[in-house]
Amino acid sequence: MSIDQIDPGSVDDEARRQPRIDVDRHSTVWRTAFRELADELPANAPIAWNETYGGYWMVTGNKEVFDIVRRADVLSNDNDIHLERKGYDGISIPPPPREQRVVRGGILEMDPPEQRYYRNVMNPYLSPAAVARWQPVMDELVRACIDDHIESGRIDFVDDLANIVPAVLTMAMLGLPLEDWVVYCEPSHATVYTHPDDPDIGRVRELGMQMGMRAMQSIAELRVAPRPGLIDGLIRADISGHSPDDMEVLSQVTLLIGGGFDTTTALTAHALEWLSENPDQRERLVREWDDLRDSATEEFLRFYTPAPGDGRTFSADVEIDGKQFKEGERLWVGWATSNRDPGLFEEPHSIQLDRKGNRHSSFGLGIHRCIGSNVARATFKTMLKGALDRMPDFVCDPSGAVHYDTTGTINGMKHLPATFTPGRRLGPGVTETVAGLQRIVDEQRLAEPVTARKQARLTD
Amino acid sequence: MKVTVDSTVCQGHTLCAMTAPDLFVLSDEDGHAAAAVDAVPPGREEAAREAARTCPEQAVALS
Repeated sequence: MSIDQIDPGSVDDEARRQPRIDVDRHSTVWRTAFRELADELPANAPIAWNETYGGYWMVTGNKEVFDIVRRADVLSNDNDIHLERKGYDGISIPPPPREQRVVRGGILEMDPPEQRYYRNVMNPYLSPAAVARWQPVMDELVRACIDDHIESGRIDFVDDLANIVPAVLTMAMLGLPLEDWVVYCEPSHATVYTHPDDPDIGRVRELGMQMGMRAMQSIAELRVAPRPGLIDGLIRADISGHSPDDMEVLSQVTLLIGGGFDTTTALTAHALEWLSENPDQRERLVREWDDLRDSATEEFLRFYTPAPGDGRTFSADVEIDGKQFKEGERLWVGWATSNRDPGLFEEPHSIQLDRKGNRHSSFGLGIHRCIGSNVARATFKTMLKGALDRMPDFVCDPSGAVHYDTTGTINGMKHLPATFTPGRRLGPGVTETVAGLQRIVDEQRLAEPVTARKQARLTD
Repeated sequence: MKVTVDSTVCQGHTLCAMTAPDLFVLSDEDGHAAAAVDAVPPGREEAAREAARTCPEQAVALS
């Protein structure tokens, strides 16, 4: 090929898209060599062109993440599934095949002003004041999960605790039947960790389909027989003169379930595993719980960053931090690497339960800050406290602990079995407790937005 | 020392109120922060500095 046949645009792109890296975030290397990559990338290539998955910008340094991701004026989260706008691909790199995209991922795959309208509808269910009202329900769920296993001296912290509490609580906040948590629980985790080549993928996709159908059925029922909760809020919402249809409601429900379950489970499991491996630190956390509860939670969030990053699309040509970006180019924002940047965090690879100035970005930055962050923190703290109070000598079994093979989407765990000195049961188990909580949620209309009901009520 | 929160920058991370609950107040509706005091009380300057340092959006200003 002679020089005059080269498209001048591609010559420009070649020079612009530097430095080049070749890091497959969906391979096991991203997990097994994460520490080395987290040392190398922010230091040497904080903004780089990653040649995998068709090529995209990958930003890993703390300063660069901060400078770029808050530029909502030049970034889009839009997942344009019906090709009605610019055809952007949402927050996953690579995006799912277009034929598999039934709904976009709620507000996380929307841009303002639409994103803001929906967010304003959902905030009064998820704000700190709204979440505080659920504390008695969280306490009761944690007690029941532990009671199912306290007499045996054995528990799987993922299957028996960290999968259940966020799932049941999310059902309650949405206004769905609490017992339906089992329909949503397994697919919400398995669709994240099951590789497309896994022989189990057919069964997992089928469970995901059943979950979507159950959600659609419940949305239709709630239109006819309203009950308080996030879905009721969405059904009644006025989105700039438009009332969301069932698929638009489903899109937000999918995000709240998909975003809320696996992430909180991942954080809780990793924290419990670390506390088992560091008994002196566990004793300290028990002893100084009131002083360390918040800082320890933020530190586990920083260190184990449940969602290691998110995708965006540049919606305009722009220069930031000396790099030229073009409209339509994809970007991946690395929260997990940013959280290990030594420029901001002293000894970034060590967990310090009393860390100060912990400016982590595990809930994202800018207008898309995780809307469930307050729920995540509260459920995490409640589960951790329950385990520390009632199973203070728990020892996790490393041979039974199963981490996700890859952490391209979520840094999660499938199983975390542990043993402990058996204790005394305090009340009924999960099944009976969930049935009892359903009556209380209904009678006391617990799932109303904080704008309608500010005070917490006793659950019993 | 005075403390303010830039409401156009705050995204409701809540870390300021977690760090210094006496200096910041969170909206019931969306958790976005505002300063609870105009002047930082004597002895609370370090807490105010810590809150400003911790804010993920750098929305807390001291003067």
